[in-house]
Amino acid sequence: MTSTLVFLEHHGDEILKGPLGVLSKSASLGDGEVNAVVTGSGVRALAGQAGAFGAARVYVADDAALEAPLSQPRVDVLARLVRDKGIETVLFANSVLAADVAAGLAARLEAGLNWDLTDIARENGKLVGKRPALQDSVYVDVGWKSEPRLALFRSGSFDPVASDGGSAQVEDVAVSLEDFSTAARMVERAHEESEGPSIEDADVVVAGGRGLGGPENFTLVEELAKALGGAVGATRAVVDAGWYPYSTQVGQTGKTVSPKLYIACGISGAIQHKVGMQASGVVVAINKDPNAPIFEFADLGVVGDVHQVVPKLTELVKQRKGG
Amino acid sequence: MKPADFPPPFRAPEYVAVPSDPEGERIEVGVLVVGAGPAGLACAIRLGRLLADAPEIRERLGEVPVAVLEKGKAAGSHLLSGAVVNPRALRRLFKGRKRIEEMPFFGPVAHESVYMLTQRRALRIPTPPTMQNDGNYVASLSQLGRWLASEAEAEGAMILAETAAEKLLVDGGRVRGVRTGDKGRGRHGEELGNSEPGSDIVARVTVLAEGTQGHLTGVALDRFGLHGENPQVWALGVKEVWKVAKPLDRVIHTMGWPLRPQARYREFGGSFIYPMGDDMVTLGMVVGLDYRDAGLSVHDLLQQLKTHPFVRRILEGGERIAWGAKTIPEGGFLSVPRQLHAPGLLICGDGAGLVNVPALKGIHYAIESGALAAEATFAALRRGETPWRPGALAGYDEALQQSFVWSDLQEVRNMRQAFGRGFWLGGALAGMMTASRGRFPPGNARTEPDSEQQILPAERTSSYPAPDGRLTFDKLSSVFLSGNKTRDDQPNHIVLRREVPRELAMLWENMCPAQVYEAVEHGVDVTPSNCVQCGAITAKGGRLTPPEGGSGPEYTLT
Repeated sequence: MTSTLVFLEHHGDEILKGPLGVLSKSASLGDGEVNAVVTGSGVRALAGQAGAFGAARVYVADDAALEAPLSQPRVDVLARLVRDKGIETVLFANSVLAADVAAGLAARLEAGLNWDLTDIARENGKLVGKRPALQDSVYVDVGWKSEPRLALFRSGSFDPVASDGGSAQVEDVAVSLEDFSTAARMVERAHEESEGPSIEDADVVVAGGRGLGGPENFTLVEELAKALGGAVGATRAVVDAGWYPYSTQVGQTGKTVSPKLYIACGISGAIQHKVGMQASGVVVAINKDPNAPIFEFADLGVVGDVHQVVPKLTELVKQRKGG
Repeated sequence: MKPADFPPPFRAPEYVAVPSDPEGERIEVGVLVVGAGPAGLACAIRLGRLLADAPEIRERLGEVPVAVLEKGKAAGSHLLSGAVVNPRALRRLFKGRKRIEEMPFFGPVAHESVYMLTQRRALRIPTPPTMQNDGNYVASLSQLGRWLASEAEAEGAMILAETAAEKLLVDGGRVRGVRTGDKGRGRHGEELGNSEPGSDIVARVTVLAEGTQGHLTGVALDRFGLHGENPQVWALGVKEVWKVAKPLDRVIHTMGWPLRPQARYREFGGSFIYPMGDDMVTLGMVVGLDYRDAGLSVHDLLQQLKTHPFVRRILEGGERIAWGAKTIPEGGFLSVPRQLHAPGLLICGDGAGLVNVPALKGIHYAIESGALAAEATFAALRRGETPWRPGALAGYDEALQQSFVWSDLQEVRNMRQAFGRGFWLGGALAGMMTASRGRFPPGNARTEPDSEQQILPAERTSSYPAPDGRLTFDKLSSVFLSGNKTRDDQPNHIVLRREVPRELAMLWENMCPAQVYEAVEHGVDVTPSNCVQCGAITAKGGRLTPPEGGSGPEYTLT
């Protein structure tokens, strides 16, 4: 009889989909008991959510010391559970916190941690992880030489599958922390403030390239994006030149976006850019060079000066929206 | 004005260091090979064989008797060549264990032709004796490298990919190994969240098999004063692989158009077109980097070549599937370092300049020199010898001088220089040299560094064809096809002067096949993440150093 523990992470009063996916995958392997652990302050109510995803038992470590999302106190909780409950396998879904806890637990228990897995299976009686390698061109099978076995799964590896009527036994565990685990404290929590939607979620992306002529002209792009309720993107060339932050870079070595509408302003459309936005719904290109490659894959092309076309477009959008 | 008037702010001593990691934290290996190319892997394979029969020596070398460092993503990622391979050295390396049929070749050269091109016509000329390829095999060097890597691993070598050798570790006049490059640094050298410092890798013997423009090879030549009689010079080769509709039945070389024969332009080079089985063709353009026209772009000359009716016919109905670029050391015999060993150090392959330009061959010399380096290393590891004693590795130079590598190179030692006098006179002189097996004209011809050539105003740029995305392509599309997806925010690995005259900035912009340089007001802008590490910049007034390990192209078919 094997025993598996899944680390459940939560935001607010919801357990994240990632660990629930790992939990339901683990339960579907159908060998041994699959348990889960919730850590935090005032989290006891969350434990019930896990039953439907296949947890036989949910351990709850509820303590004010676990309020902040810091890793070491959680390592204390998990290390003790592994020792006291004879747990052989601990599974994590990737996140900043989970990766930190997994690494800390591996060090604490001198356990083997397989990283970046996308699947797990039992083959010939052995637990085998699947890990993509060489730019995801091949999958390699990985295993563990000893117990406990630790694994961290890539985001989105498994969809949470709820079974009907499963309910978990909830068990409180005592929280006792090592001195060194309380050395770190949370000073401040902040959300990245961004106006409008993030570039990856936006329905409209207005992107600027070198054709804008200078960083000051990005206001043209920003205003159009604002009028359309969209996000601002940039090409590698302008990010390299320091005109706009890297977080907005669209392309091979930046973000991959697929909005319903993509407006490219002064962007030539090199393939390195194209691969980051080719899945967009409608692509509109504004460029003064009629031979720019972007016109080969744009749905709508405007050959003209971005400095004149974009402000007029913004004006029109505002009028329509206003009227 | 010439590129050498604006030397890069590169100081070789900054890349020499004593081991700095505490004793217990160094990575200790027996023999360290730098570079998983034909030279380095042949060395690892031969050494593995020799150690298999000498367990007591193997034992003394510790847990990792032979390690091979590779800066590319994997073995083969940075390998590129024509390539028609002379199998001589491979036969010797795998004697009795592997047949040619088991090696990743596209078959023997069945027919070959050489053409002189004019803008519209292709005139077949007799194949110069140096260029005959009877008994040779067509290969992708990248594929051959991957195969050699698996053979080396089977012989017990450990291949450490994505690891750049950044500094040469020298202690008390003895090479101790290398320090690997840091990873995870930002544009200004700051440590990013995932930063990881380099490590000292120490070994009894370090074999530099870095290939063309070897970074530590250059550093070692300076440190130990090993430079040859002539400075090294290079050519730049740009190639593509095409999936084609109809098979090509022979190996083709062309001379002439689009290069100009006049001596003042110094445009020495030509093209190659080789079949890779029935459904692929590789073609490339190679031009000596002693050229002078600031508008010359080998990338665009290759695009132009494809518009020639003779070449267009071969590619008709096909599709470009791979692209890459690399320099070739062309100085020949007289540019080979005067000594290829130093205490604890050996240098082989392209890094040592072992290339036969008139024959367009170097791979079998790389393999042979790697195998000979292994034998010399093995001899120096025997009980009673100290591998870092000065002269302990001299057996390598002696063996190389006794080998076919040396006699081949000596015979053609003056041929490349002759073409500095223009195509026609150069051709006539080369003919005499061939007929006399290198005895006439006697003596040794001089070479000037590529960066010492005067720059002529950009004349060529207007004649390049506009990219159509089917037959002809722009540089950025080419870089994309090389598999290069280097992190944009890593420190710039190209050392050069930013404020340079317009002519030099233009020369760099046009020269670079990967669009790394852009002439701007007062100088040049650099986009290092485009770099495919061909090395042309080192020949023409800058200095390429290794970027973060794992960066650069990911060649598989070149």
